[in-house]
Amino acid sequence: MSKIRLGFSKTGMAKYISHLDLLRCFTRSIMRAELPAVYSRGFNPHMKMTFSLPLSVGVTSSCECVDIEFEDGVSDSEIMKQLNKTLPPDIRIISVGDPNISANDVFGAEYRLTLLCGGADENALEAVKKFFALPEITIIKRTKKKGEREVNLMDFVLGVEAPKITDDGIEICLTLSAGGRKNLKPEIATESLIKYMTENTDVRVKGYNIHRTKILYDINDPKIFK
Amino acid sequence: MRDYKIDFEDCLRRVQKPARYIGNEFGSVHKEKTDDMMSFAFCFPDVYEVGMSHLGMKILYHMLNERDDTVCERVFAPWDDMEKLMRERDIPLLSMESCAPVRNFDIVGFTLQYEMSYSNVVNMLDLAGIPLRTRERGDGDPFVCCGGPCTYHAEPLAELVDFFILGEGEEVNGEIMDEYKKWRGSGKNRDDFLMSLVALGGIYVPKFYDVEYNDDNTIKRFEPNRPGVPKQVRKRIILDLDKCYAPEKLIVPFMETVHDRIMLELFRGCIRGCRFCQAGYIYRPVRERSVDRLCGIADGCIKNTGYEEMSLSSLSTSDYRELQELIDRLLDMTVDKRINLSLPSLRVDNFSMELMEKVQKVKKSGLTFAPEAGTQRLRDVINKNVIESDLIRTSRIAFGGGYNRIKLYFMLGLPTETYDDVKGIADLAKKVIDEGFFSIPPEERKGRSVSITVSTSFFVPKPFTPFQWEPQNLISEMEDKARFLKENIRSKKIVYNWHNSDISLLEAVFAKGDRRLSEVLITAHELGCKFDGWSDFFDYEKWLEAFKINNIDPAFYANRRIPYDEILPWDYADIGVPKSYLIKEHKRAYEEKTTPDCREKCGGCGAASFGGGVCFE
Repeated sequence: MSKIRLGFSKTGMAKYISHLDLLRCFTRSIMRAELPAVYSRGFNPHMKMTFSLPLSVGVTSSCECVDIEFEDGVSDSEIMKQLNKTLPPDIRIISVGDPNISANDVFGAEYRLTLLCGGADENALEAVKKFFALPEITIIKRTKKKGEREVNLMDFVLGVEAPKITDDGIEICLTLSAGGRKNLKPEIATESLIKYMTENTDVRVKGYNIHRTKILYDINDPKIFK
Repeated sequence: MRDYKIDFEDCLRRVQKPARYIGNEFGSVHKEKTDDMMSFAFCFPDVYEVGMSHLGMKILYHMLNERDDTVCERVFAPWDDMEKLMRERDIPLLSMESCAPVRNFDIVGFTLQYEMSYSNVVNMLDLAGIPLRTRERGDGDPFVCCGGPCTYHAEPLAELVDFFILGEGEEVNGEIMDEYKKWRGSGKNRDDFLMSLVALGGIYVPKFYDVEYNDDNTIKRFEPNRPGVPKQVRKRIILDLDKCYAPEKLIVPFMETVHDRIMLELFRGCIRGCRFCQAGYIYRPVRERSVDRLCGIADGCIKNTGYEEMSLSSLSTSDYRELQELIDRLLDMTVDKRINLSLPSLRVDNFSMELMEKVQKVKKSGLTFAPEAGTQRLRDVINKNVIESDLIRTSRIAFGGGYNRIKLYFMLGLPTETYDDVKGIADLAKKVIDEGFFSIPPEERKGRSVSITVSTSFFVPKPFTPFQWEPQNLISEMEDKARFLKENIRSKKIVYNWHNSDISLLEAVFAKGDRRLSEVLITAHELGCKFDGWSDFFDYEKWLEAFKINNIDPAFYANRRIPYDEILPWDYADIGVPKSYLIKEHKRAYEEKTTPDCREKCGGCGAASFGGGVCFE
């Protein structure tokens, strides 16, 4: 019996699949692949499966992780090969390995935001930089436990790279606190940024895409420079 | 042409349950459509999670897609929040697979499973930008067709639908595509295509019939208006289910659907002949699949879906002749894989403990029985051959076996019902507890207590049943009966639920209505009626207004006793069981005489004329 960590991507329309639906999707894909998953004991047995860091609905990712326990006798490469046959097309396994780092150690995640807008210029980029240089931006954070409360967005920003202009609009690479101890959903930061852009520039953002590019376990990660 | 994908996707961010609209599930079919191919939009007039629970859609979707010359894509009714955004942004109704406007498909087909989805058909046509009335459609518009059980009495949709497919679609749908291929580009007009379909058999084209009415609103004349159109359209059925297509690669939805499992169809039809049950008549004769074929289908479905549950779904599953063998073999296939096998619609009379023990090997589920009526007299009237002592005995076995919850289904407002019959429901539920549970010695009881859920729905007289001539109870009568029953249930161990009476009235109107209701449907749509099967949307006042605007009295359809010799709006359909047999059964009901099931003794209903099934076992 061994626990393995699967790295996978979630792209296209699959970004609208909720966490619970994703769990069910993996369970059924493993059933279809006839892989020997280990089940929990008890009244209602289920496959032993843990996702590192739930992804918000509407966000794509190329760095998702799930730990699954399998009976011995099936190779890592076989698991990857079989699952990629039975998973829906927008979910792909990209790596298999040992879960050397505990999911509890997650403390940040890196996102690529794309603000969809035409005619972005240097001034727009300056505005983005100014936004992230502000000492305090009040946002409303909703959690099930604590309800609604006001927090400072900047307390959750771990790093931001210089924004770029692309064909679609403005692209920003942003690192936010993530994990069990301190977490911020990237869409809250994005919407706060769009509000700032609307109030302070002529740029009109029509929509946005968010893509998670990395889950951070190491506090000394070079992505963190703030 | 405008590409709707980006706009559509932007809506998804703003709606509840976006997974309803994303498609791309495992098993969905994505085909590149070339100009020489034909396209069929398979529309389910309800929300995704309801539509994706429907076996018929799965069969016909995969079957049409097996043809190289046809693309079949799915369409569901968008939920209210999504519809609003789509209308705001001028996005028409789109297909799931390719995000293509439904109005660009060659044929747009709706499946009609229940009357309360008709307003959604209208709303979806409107959202698609397809002219609502057949007479408003012309070159460049798709053909709108309907299939499913309601097509046998679909006159309320007559003005909106180009053709109805009566019976089972496995054969005829392919023939329709063949005819379309011949017609397309031939220079012939739309009516020529419809006439070619009439020649196939099983196709009803409402515009090829003229209806005249008497002063009292009854039908005076209902006749074909052109040569070559039959007075009655006979349904098409599949005689050999073993040879019939059954998909093994099903779509596995991402989100949870109402029936989120493998559904194994053991047989079609029902041998019982309950007199209120339309399904028991329109699907005749009973045709079974063999155990071998079923195991083959089950094996394919298990491998291709990964579902954790399989249900045996047929009208009265326990009537399958080789049920023991089938269950044994299915258990061999499922237990190791932790797949839960579930048996719906168990009948009290042939329910066995052994069977129950077998099925609950994997997971114990609740038990449901449907005695339908509270007294033996009324059960004889409706030909529901359930005997009280059987129900008590079965509950004792179930309670002794560790079950502690039993659900009982009944109907209120059945023909000849008295308040004694209503009280009988409360008495029966109490007996199930007193004699089923408390008669077990305390030391042998498993669990300290039990609970019974009694649910009642209101009787809706349905076409093609012996009760088709019966009036429905008035809403006030229905509510009095429900209140009376509630007062008579005193045990805290019994929970009582009942269905909405306004909806039952509307169901009766649209089940038994004629083509004058088409305009009512359109008016109701304009007033905002949709999702009438959902209590959060159903608005009775709006419906009453729609009837009033069109000067139509709903009571004429629902609450009037119809004489045997009156022309009925559904006389165009020939289900294989003639009116004479239904009259005979109706009279037997009033004599409180039961009719044996098909296997016990043939009642001579006429279904033998199809030349197969139970009639020749």
